[in-house]
Amino acid sequence: MRRWLRQHRYAFTVALRRLLAQPFSSLSNLLVIALTLAVPIVGASILLSSQPVAKQVSVSPEVTLFLLPTAPPEASQRIQRRLQADFAQDIDGVRIVTRQQALKTLQANPNWSNALSALPGNPLPDAVVVTLKEHPDLARHANTLAQEWRQWDQVGLVQHDSAWVQRLEAILRFVRIGVALLAMGVALVVLATVFNTVRMQALTQREEIAAARLVGATESFVRRPFLYLGALTGLVSGLCAIALAYLALMPLNSALARLAQSYGTQLTLQLPDPLSLALAVVVVAILGALSARWSVTRNTRF
Amino acid sequence: MIEFQHVFKSYGRGRNILSDINFRIEPGEFVFVSGPSGAGKSTLLKLIGGLEPPSRGAISVNGHRIDKMPSRARPYLRRAVGIILQDTHLLYDRNAIQNVLLPLTVVGLDSGRAATRARAAIEKVGLSGKEDLNPVEMSGGEQQRLAIARAIVNRPAILIVDEPTANLDQDSARRIMDVFRDFNRVGVTTLIASHDRQLMASYASRTLRIDAGRFADLKGVAA
Repeated sequence: MRRWLRQHRYAFTVALRRLLAQPFSSLSNLLVIALTLAVPIVGASILLSSQPVAKQVSVSPEVTLFLLPTAPPEASQRIQRRLQADFAQDIDGVRIVTRQQALKTLQANPNWSNALSALPGNPLPDAVVVTLKEHPDLARHANTLAQEWRQWDQVGLVQHDSAWVQRLEAILRFVRIGVALLAMGVALVVLATVFNTVRMQALTQREEIAAARLVGATESFVRRPFLYLGALTGLVSGLCAIALAYLALMPLNSALARLAQSYGTQLTLQLPDPLSLALAVVVVAILGALSARWSVTRNTRF
Repeated sequence: MIEFQHVFKSYGRGRNILSDINFRIEPGEFVFVSGPSGAGKSTLLKLIGGLEPPSRGAISVNGHRIDKMPSRARPYLRRAVGIILQDTHLLYDRNAIQNVLLPLTVVGLDSGRAATRARAAIEKVGLSGKEDLNPVEMSGGEQQRLAIARAIVNRPAILIVDEPTANLDQDSARRIMDVFRDFNRVGVTTLIASHDRQLMASYASRTLRIDAGRFADLKGVAA
């Protein structure tokens, strides 16, 4: 066991020495991988930070049923009763906004009062506002209900706020696939960069490899420092990528804060949780080691 | 003990470098392999060291059949055979003692014992006090002796050496040969490839003469 540990310590030291022996070359490799890795990390940060917003908005969507301007005044109460009787399991509450109430609300707004005073009468219809209960896929559910209610007698228009949530979700789905594809591309970049680094290292260490083989080094002994080199490259690049992504999020957040404020909300882009980041770094380190193994197997046949 | 039985060696579909080689070297022998350049001497040594597999035939070293040995097992054989090739494969990015430490690192010896053994090996070849020198700071003879120290630090039972005195002056050559003779006296089987007739006359107990891949003179060859 001690012998095994000594050999691994030796391999690790050799890998570290080789990385430090060519500081500029190593640094540029690490930077290339780190910058490439930072892109999907930022993408994942945007994705993960946007998902709660979509969920939050769709927690209690309100569906508004605007009646026809010709509808009799009792129509809204009839619809309210029907909703409470037939859709009790789907709705949390129903309230009526009469055309007079709506007009009063609009008139309170100075932007609208002038326009409304120019009209001969009240152009607004009666409305029934339905608050839906929670549902695993509330946006889709709201859409289904709205389609059904649109068919009802005296109902002119059904408007629900979940449409944009659906669009947001579609965008997020698109971004999710984009980030996944990006991550695959990045994995290829890591593989290619580490492969080439190890190839160059193997050629530089040709003499050392030949000497080690001459004195009885096994192929594992020869490969081990290169595997550590690949894993170390992945590990350090991963950590640098997290730092870069963190730095990139700072100006993005300051710009986003102003935008969110204008919508009366708060949105901050945050890095994925530490466990996911640690997992990502480990995966990159493993990819580095695998690529190094592939490279060293191909490039030390001399 | 080293034994070759009907050994052939060729590269790809090319001509045979070695053809039907048969010999046997007993433990503790001091043997020269002589012959002109390109005769196949180096290839013969590489076969013994497990650096190359034979194309045909049986090779036994220390009771192990190299020809039947999987490639992953050959490094373990090489730890029992000290190999010094014409190209010494010394590492010029580290000092003398670090070069000698390499075989001990390969077997995973702890640093304290490894340092003691490496210093002892350096002392045996007469390089005491030069442990911290880089090989480039050494003469050709000293580099050769450093390669010997690296080859013997693992206390091998067999020492195979390719042209150890090429490019050395007579005095350096003699000192190198004395080092081999000393090892042989303590029981290390020594096999040296050389074309220096004068040297062979002074040291050899047996000479295997090889020419164009075949034994040219069967005198002294035991099958």
